[in-house]
Amino acid sequence: MIHPKSDRVIDARYLEPPEPFVKTMEALDTIPAGGKLLLLLFREPHPLYRVLDQNGYRHETEQVADGTFEILIWRA
Amino acid sequence: MQALLSFDRAPPFAAPLRFFITAPLFALLAGVLLLVEGPGVLASRWTPAALAATHLITVGFMLHVMLGALVQILPVVAGANVARPLLVATVVHGGLVLGTLALVAGFLAAAPGFFLAAAAVLAGTALVFLASAGTALFGVPTTSPTIGGLKLAFIALAVVVGLGVTLVLALALGWSLPLVDLVDLHAGWGLGAWAGILLASLAYVVVPMFQLTPGYPARPSWWFPWALFAVLVLWSLAVAGAAPLLVRAAEALAALAGMAFAAFTLNLQRQRRRARADATYRLWQVGLASMLLALAMLLAVALHPEFAEWRGWTPLFGILVAVGGYMSLILGMLYKIVPFLSWLHLQNLGKGRVPAPNMSKILSESAAMRQTASHVVALAGLVAAAVAPAWFARPAGLALVVASGWLFANFGLAYWRFRRHAREMACLAQP
Repeated sequence: MIHPKSDRVIDARYLEPPEPFVKTMEALDTIPAGGKLLLLLFREPHPLYRVLDQNGYRHETEQVADGTFEILIWRA
Repeated sequence: MQALLSFDRAPPFAAPLRFFITAPLFALLAGVLLLVEGPGVLASRWTPAALAATHLITVGFMLHVMLGALVQILPVVAGANVARPLLVATVVHGGLVLGTLALVAGFLAAAPGFFLAAAAVLAGTALVFLASAGTALFGVPTTSPTIGGLKLAFIALAVVVGLGVTLVLALALGWSLPLVDLVDLHAGWGLGAWAGILLASLAYVVVPMFQLTPGYPARPSWWFPWALFAVLVLWSLAVAGAAPLLVRAAEALAALAGMAFAAFTLNLQRQRRRARADATYRLWQVGLASMLLALAMLLAVALHPEFAEWRGWTPLFGILVAVGGYMSLILGMLYKIVPFLSWLHLQNLGKGRVPAPNMSKILSESAAMRQTASHVVALAGLVAAAVAPAWFARPAGLALVVASGWLFANFGLAYWRFRRHAREMACLAQP
């Protein structure tokens, strides 16, 4: 999936918990240095934010018109 | 990093679960009251038995589950961590159980002592909840419509409890207050602002998450809680200022806003990507349809006040909102939350070495569906009882006893299975 914010996108909008979390964690393990991951969800993933903070990742979240939260994740 | 599926600061499972297991018992008591008292419970909104039954459902069942669930889900939906969650849950749970029983005893026995005890315990319980959960919630930035809505709902809860405690004290101490207006405000803020805004704010998260639907569009999601809150403020000013035309206009606006939300959510459900219609889906369909009917009644009475002169209007409206609407929607959420929380806690107990059992081993879909059917039967019975109390009040009471007892059994068994798996996994996960 191509997205202007990142070429590595996980569209987890129609996945049941805990799949979005698991897929994001798996993808972070494979992301190259300096790379960014974009997660799409219809909610803000607060539990994921905590795990990201604890593991040295940064994130930036934006809600777009259709209600999707675009969460851009990169290593600090 | 997969082992990090531990929601590190999630409260222990016992924190919310105790609420979910005892809440059905209050709905069961409402059924027993209807079974014993019969048609008198539905004769008028002012009979002691009607007031007792109403509060067994709204405080005993609804508030019980809402506060218990919030301690658990505030960290998940808002990133707001309640300090010492198990202690808060213990105090709030104990306070709600004792306070509800005292309040119901006060109504049934018309005893000032019970009313004073209920006022003190329920006010104290609400203060503990609002101080702890409110501090956590208002400490996080408003980054989503859910967080914004929850903050407004908490303000509404303070208003509901303030009005409720004032009313109970007025009954106990014989204060001369405009009781009818205060009761209207108390009910409006409870069912409209607190429960309505709380439900919408959580629906933004749980409808797409549990039912795999599209999301709620961003802009309307942000303003809907504010719009509902503003209409309730307008309505309150109109009630206080004795401006009947403005009261009716505000009621019509509130009804239209609620109907728009319910219809939009039903349309989201239609677009879901899960083929199977599970208990959650069915319960939300029933809940939203029931809300639409109730709000159509509110709209009709705002346009033609004489409709409210029908004896069955208030019981029917109350049953459609509380039992058909909120209770169904709450049950729909619980049938996802309880198995998922069990699975999550078992997953953490396994420490990544022992996999947690499938969620259906804790609470099966067929058990949820059968109880859902009994809930719908109870709702149909109650609607019939509101129309023809002499015929249907006692059968409806019996149906509510069965549905609530079944719910208690479902959650009780889920907890028992969770404990059994937890013991087995703790042994297996020993290094």
